[in-house]
Amino acid sequence: MKLDLTINGADKRIDLLTHAPGVRFRFGDGEESAAHVETPEPGVYSILIGGRSYDARVEEAPNCLIVVIDGHRFEVEVRDPRRRARRSAGRHGEGVQDIVAPMPGKVIRVLIAPGDVVSPGQGLVVVEAMKMQNELKAQREARVAIVHAREGATVAAGEILVTLE
Amino acid sequence: MFRKVLIANRGEIAVRVMRTLREMGISTVAVYSDADRTSLHVRMADEAEHVGPSPSGESYLRIDRILDAARKYGAEAIHPGYGFLSENAEFAAACEDSGIVFIGPSAASIRSMGSKTAARQVAIAAGTPVVPGTDHGVTAEEAREFGRTHGYPVLLKAVAGGGGKGMRRVDREADLESALRDASSEAERSFRNAEVYVEKLIERPRHIEIQLMGDRHGNMIHLGERECSIQRRHQKVLEECPSPLVARYPEMRREMGEAAVRAARAAGYYNAGTVEFLVDQDRHFYFLEMNTRLQVEHPVTELVTGLDLVRMQVEIAAGGRLPLTQEEVSWRGSSIECRIYAEDPYNNFLPYPGKLTRLTRPLGPGVRLDGCVYDGWTVPMEYDPLLAKLAVWAENREAATARMIRALREYDVGGIRTNIGFFRQILEDPDFAAARLHTGFIEEFFVRQPSHESPPEFAAVAALAAALHASSRTTPEAAPAGASAWLTAGREGLLR
Repeated sequence: MKLDLTINGADKRIDLLTHAPGVRFRFGDGEESAAHVETPEPGVYSILIGGRSYDARVEEAPNCLIVVIDGHRFEVEVRDPRRRARRSAGRHGEGVQDIVAPMPGKVIRVLIAPGDVVSPGQGLVVVEAMKMQNELKAQREARVAIVHAREGATVAAGEILVTLE
Repeated sequence: MFRKVLIANRGEIAVRVMRTLREMGISTVAVYSDADRTSLHVRMADEAEHVGPSPSGESYLRIDRILDAARKYGAEAIHPGYGFLSENAEFAAACEDSGIVFIGPSAASIRSMGSKTAARQVAIAAGTPVVPGTDHGVTAEEAREFGRTHGYPVLLKAVAGGGGKGMRRVDREADLESALRDASSEAERSFRNAEVYVEKLIERPRHIEIQLMGDRHGNMIHLGERECSIQRRHQKVLEECPSPLVARYPEMRREMGEAAVRAARAAGYYNAGTVEFLVDQDRHFYFLEMNTRLQVEHPVTELVTGLDLVRMQVEIAAGGRLPLTQEEVSWRGSSIECRIYAEDPYNNFLPYPGKLTRLTRPLGPGVRLDGCVYDGWTVPMEYDPLLAKLAVWAENREAATARMIRALREYDVGGIRTNIGFFRQILEDPDFAAARLHTGFIEEFFVRQPSHESPPEFAAVAALAAALHASSRTTPEAAPAGASAWLTAGREGLLR
């Protein structure tokens, strides 16, 4: 199984040849390597390569996976090259922009309505979690196309609150 | 001594206080809101009483319900922890009126030291140096005038504040009005008091505070300082004792300690309290405020002095005398504490509540963990994101730093974001090792972006782990809500 990866901004292709625990794999056209992989806890990959032991912890973020090894953090996007990567939320094309919740929380206030024209820096939606209010602002001048956020609603990180165009 | 004490708090501090009470053979009563039914402090307590819905204004801040609970279970005293009602003079007075002992200072002391502006007056009268500022809540006009007189930057602060809530830095007059509005509404929400005052901002200061302990017989001592310069959003995240600056200039401990004792004595203070100082580049210190309660970061003082501050608080509240004199206080070794928060340091430290899917706690020599989390617990979104305080002790700062890095490597919290990895970067930073500390340390850290070079093969191992993780997600149920394109792609690829 071939997968395209972007790891901390750098592109890589990995070919997984066998399943865990005895994983054989190859990066790009490089040499085949072997790793012994166990999953002792959900999201934790204990990986032995040539006798060296790595504990990789994987978290799912809205647009990528976050892998932490011994305190070192990597953001990894994974795509299947046999499928054309679908446009991810937030990039519909020229001029359209989704404003997403940066954290899980509750929508406290919706400051705009569909059709409004907003200027850079103008507040759109206020999300609150753990006594911290976060006002999401327009980056540039735009028209409010859709307001997804409802006051009082609980939202997950990455959930679309407003679509601007 | 009391037989039963109610803890009017939640989270790690409720658990911390209960631990000492249990060691003292005192029975414990917890209070909880809707969101906290399964929280550790409720599970740990001998008795627990529901005091209302999740918003703290309807539960943990309800003086009437807390007192009802104390009466219902026959608690003779209340420990307020920090935050919530801990610095509320009305609450302390209501306890006194109900014949329940408030484990803390008198209502009068809270009134004179709990308000930042009143505390300034006390400090000035006691001869303790203060930063230039207004002595009362200000209107936009008064704030503008102050800015014109003393120059920018200035700092807006909630009169009833603490923990960085209701605080704003203002660099120019044009930003003043909106900042004042923000600070004021945040102050209103956090403290039910919208008043905001303004003071001159000291650039690149250190934040060093003195721990005080006084009994009701007129004895007061200081237990040395804590360096709390590493902050984000004006809130401390890493504290140490001794302060590396004070370690280099030992006379500072005596000078600041005496100034703190003087100010507190002037307010007729007893029980635990902390006087916070700003220290400028020339090592001048200025009285900042007094916290009339136990501090979050008290464990570093405990580790270095060998004292249990909560036990001292309880004994003093029960009428006891200080168990030691100033000359008998000794400081041994070095301690560092990291506040482990459910937040994303790489996204403006935004809070990140949610369910814990994994938990491995650091253990081993010299490690202390004050926490309230367990595997499977859902961190509520209603409260402060503090999960635990990880503290270490070692013979000196260098060893303590190495020990903390070791402990952070062992610490794993899954399912939510935390600042565990970020602390490791801070602790490995040469500026931290050299103790070039100031309250803007973290902001500058992000600007400097010191390279955090990982061993060369780590990226490949991370890539392998990510690929295996994506390919193992074979059922739609396994995908989280709002699964993004990569996940779908990986899954569909595998099914083919």
